[in-house]
Amino acid sequence: MSVGRSIGWLDAPRVWLDGAGEVARFGSNVASQVFSGRVLRFFGESVRQAGILIFGSALIIWAFVFILGLQCGLIGAYFSRSIGAPGNAGLFSAFCDLREGLPYAFGYIFSAKVGTGIVAELGAMRISDEIDALEVMGIPPLTFLAATRLLGAWIAIPFLYLVGIGIGYLASWFAVVEQVGDVSSGGYLLIFWMYQNPLDVLFSLTKAMVMATIIVSVGCYYGYTASGGPVGVGTATAKSMAVNIILVNIIGMLGTLIFYGANPRAPIGG
Amino acid sequence: MVLLAARTLVSAVRPPYPYGEELVSQFLFVLKLSWFPMTISIFALCFGAVGLQASGILELFGALDRLGGIFVVTAIRFIGPIVTAAILAGVAGTAITADLGARKIREELDALQVLGVDPIKNLVVPRFLALMVVTALLNIYAIVFGLTAGIAASILYDEPLGGFFATLFSNVLITDLWGSVLLCTIFGGIIAVVCCYKGMTASGGPAGVGRAVNQAVVIAYMGNFAFLNVFTSLLLAFNPELQTIR
Repeated sequence: MSVGRSIGWLDAPRVWLDGAGEVARFGSNVASQVFSGRVLRFFGESVRQAGILIFGSALIIWAFVFILGLQCGLIGAYFSRSIGAPGNAGLFSAFCDLREGLPYAFGYIFSAKVGTGIVAELGAMRISDEIDALEVMGIPPLTFLAATRLLGAWIAIPFLYLVGIGIGYLASWFAVVEQVGDVSSGGYLLIFWMYQNPLDVLFSLTKAMVMATIIVSVGCYYGYTASGGPVGVGTATAKSMAVNIILVNIIGMLGTLIFYGANPRAPIGG
Repeated sequence: MVLLAARTLVSAVRPPYPYGEELVSQFLFVLKLSWFPMTISIFALCFGAVGLQASGILELFGALDRLGGIFVVTAIRFIGPIVTAAILAGVAGTAITADLGARKIREELDALQVLGVDPIKNLVVPRFLALMVVTALLNIYAIVFGLTAGIAASILYDEPLGGFFATLFSNVLITDLWGSVLLCTIFGGIIAVVCCYKGMTASGGPAGVGRAVNQAVVIAYMGNFAFLNVFTSLLLAFNPELQTIR
């Protein structure tokens, strides 16, 4: 069996470092295409990509976020019961939902659904020489394929994510008030809203946007540079997922450090 | 997929057992792929999401020594299994789907069948068993690194570690640990079945394998998280001793 073939213990970090560096170069290239406005030549294509994102992935993203909201509410409700203050379930679920859980859940499912989807799509184009064909026709493939997807993601993600936040909140409310039922709806919501403010939403959205940008860049890079026939596309897809998932976690941690490291932003004490 | 799961289970226990060597090689393959993402991810998640957020709140109360108790609730019960499942599905599961999908596209699976080798027994069963074992083991690894992140957060807030360990060990129960490990074993089974199924049914030219990987990882994530929610509900509801803080 050919699977055990020559993969060493240090291959995982090496592939990851390699990939992260290449993606940084590729991603900044793509982003410069967007910022310089060259992508506006294909604005219709960008809007189409945003539409594909919404129609193809929104339901799955929201379903995933819903499950995570349930989980946050559940853990929060039992945790608050254990410290003898079941009314404070809102504290845990406010922190778990908005600040940490939702960006991570979004990052995971976005890399799984959209990131690998882009690799599979672009990889198939590369393998069947469609990207070269684009070049021959005088259409810059990097702009037409990668930059439009990035712009499309930037158009769609804020709305997608904000609706996701609402769905996560609904799920947490459901888990705390209806499933465990230690606290009344009003009591839960009082604490829940007390422990967050609009700036937190902005922070959360920033995390999600950075994650989405990186995931789309990773997806485009691995799809754009796929090689080695149909098998190569599969391998590239798997590799992109491995790179994505680490990056998502690192961005989440850095975001928390930057936004909340010095100031927990909780209405306690002075 | 359910059919594949049932056939895999039957085939795993019915003699003969020709898959020993493949089992070991798959085990090492998954371990070599996953150890690095696991370390980074679990440390980042536990340090950022739990360590910093909880320390921030606890510092306001002047109760930083309680961080250990919070790590029991979050790191062991919640984040350890989640990260293990996400990494294993995203890294090992996708690799398995890509590998099996490649064999399907190259018609190696058909060739095996012609040779009289059962692909379920020789390809799926070893991956299934290996993933179950590796997921359970990596969960322990995840818990260890999650607690390391907790220690790092304690040190960052200039807190002596005695309080962390005291509340950690007084709050953690055997039920927490076996719950976590059992959950992860089942996660491994779900990931293996989904990814093998999607790999073995890949079709449709160059885009086929890529699309199979895409679908496999999405289904594995959704399945794992849905199962996580059900399992946590049942575990917490049926074990009231988990709900007291000591």
